[in-house]
Amino acid sequence: MRDKKLETKLRLVTLQLEGWKKLHDLITYGLDKAKPIISSEQERQFTEIRSNLLQETEYVLRELNMVAEVSGKAMSVLQRGVSVRGVRDLTNDEIRRLETDWNGVFTKLGLTQGQLKARRKELAEQSAFDYYLTQVRGRVFRRPATAH
Amino acid sequence: MLVLNADPVFQDRALAILDENASLEIQVVRSLSETVSALLGENFDGLIIEGESHLAFEQATNMRQHFPSLRILCLLLDRREHEVSTVANEQNIELLSMPRGDSSLRANLNRFVRSLDLHAGTAAAEGIDPCHSLIGNLNQFSAAEILQMSCLSQRSGRFTFKSGRGNSEIYLQQGSVRHAVFGSLEGEAAVAEIFRWRQGRFYFEEGIISQEQTVNRPWAHLLIDNLQKLDETLELVSV
Repeated sequence: MRDKKLETKLRLVTLQLEGWKKLHDLITYGLDKAKPIISSEQERQFTEIRSNLLQETEYVLRELNMVAEVSGKAMSVLQRGVSVRGVRDLTNDEIRRLETDWNGVFTKLGLTQGQLKARRKELAEQSAFDYYLTQVRGRVFRRPATAH
Repeated sequence: MLVLNADPVFQDRALAILDENASLEIQVVRSLSETVSALLGENFDGLIIEGESHLAFEQATNMRQHFPSLRILCLLLDRREHEVSTVANEQNIELLSMPRGDSSLRANLNRFVRSLDLHAGTAAAEGIDPCHSLIGNLNQFSAAEILQMSCLSQRSGRFTFKSGRGNSEIYLQQGSVRHAVFGSLEGEAAVAEIFRWRQGRFYFEEGIISQEQTVNRPWAHLLIDNLQKLDETLELVSV
């Protein structure tokens, strides 16, 4: 049994996580003092990833019902990290804030991905009949008591 | 299945349909360099390139140059199939203009996926045969290395390469490549394909000589040409 909405959510969260991971790789590179050269190709990649995240984050978080929890942190990371070189020039406080916010977004997305995968596994073990039976039961037991 | 789609979040009609197939594993990439990088991993039976016709078709022809046996479907968002259909036929690229209705798109995508199933799974069950005089893994020794070694020692016989993509054979005679075959590819095209494999097994059987001759150039020329092509492919990854 496969749930279309769940598959879409899983695809969206996977794409988001991929983007946040790539962004983190470049931020880490920028912060590594032992790697002094920042190429124009790395800057191009950073801008590309940042642009994708800026376009997609709000939409994906809304689809996953996570706007309130994560959106602020996500925007904070994207606004602070303007380029690889820009990240290198941030103050220690700003770097700590950037890393904390990135971690908040990544942790929440990772947890959601895990929950969705677990749900998919459950569904895969269920037949279509079991699934609809559970839905019907859920509706029956959730029915509010009628007023007299 | 690998899907190249520059905007997979907002342009996801095809992806949503592919998601319905529980037996299909999909990886989505956004750029050509990511595509090459993923394809060099060799875990894909097919590639779907989705985008505006001009760009998508250019990407498809580019991929065809580097991966001659890969099944490629080009999904054109602007329905300008007629402009590129002749070249697509020559390059063995399947074209599909994005239909308006989901049912038509679903039918076409399912047809493409089914056609991959027919091509896959040709790898026969492995077994060590006493007549195999050399057996190994391609992730430890590349095809170029083992062919170089065999040609330098003037071997005659048959190399069989088995990977997720299927089986291929290269016949040597007195240290020269005489014949190569992989699916519908023969000769130098088949050698070029095998050069890119990084996963799979190989076996060498001494003394089996092909009646057919599809490769006429000396091994050294083939080696240089194919290594150069491989370098060009790897350059795409860093773009």
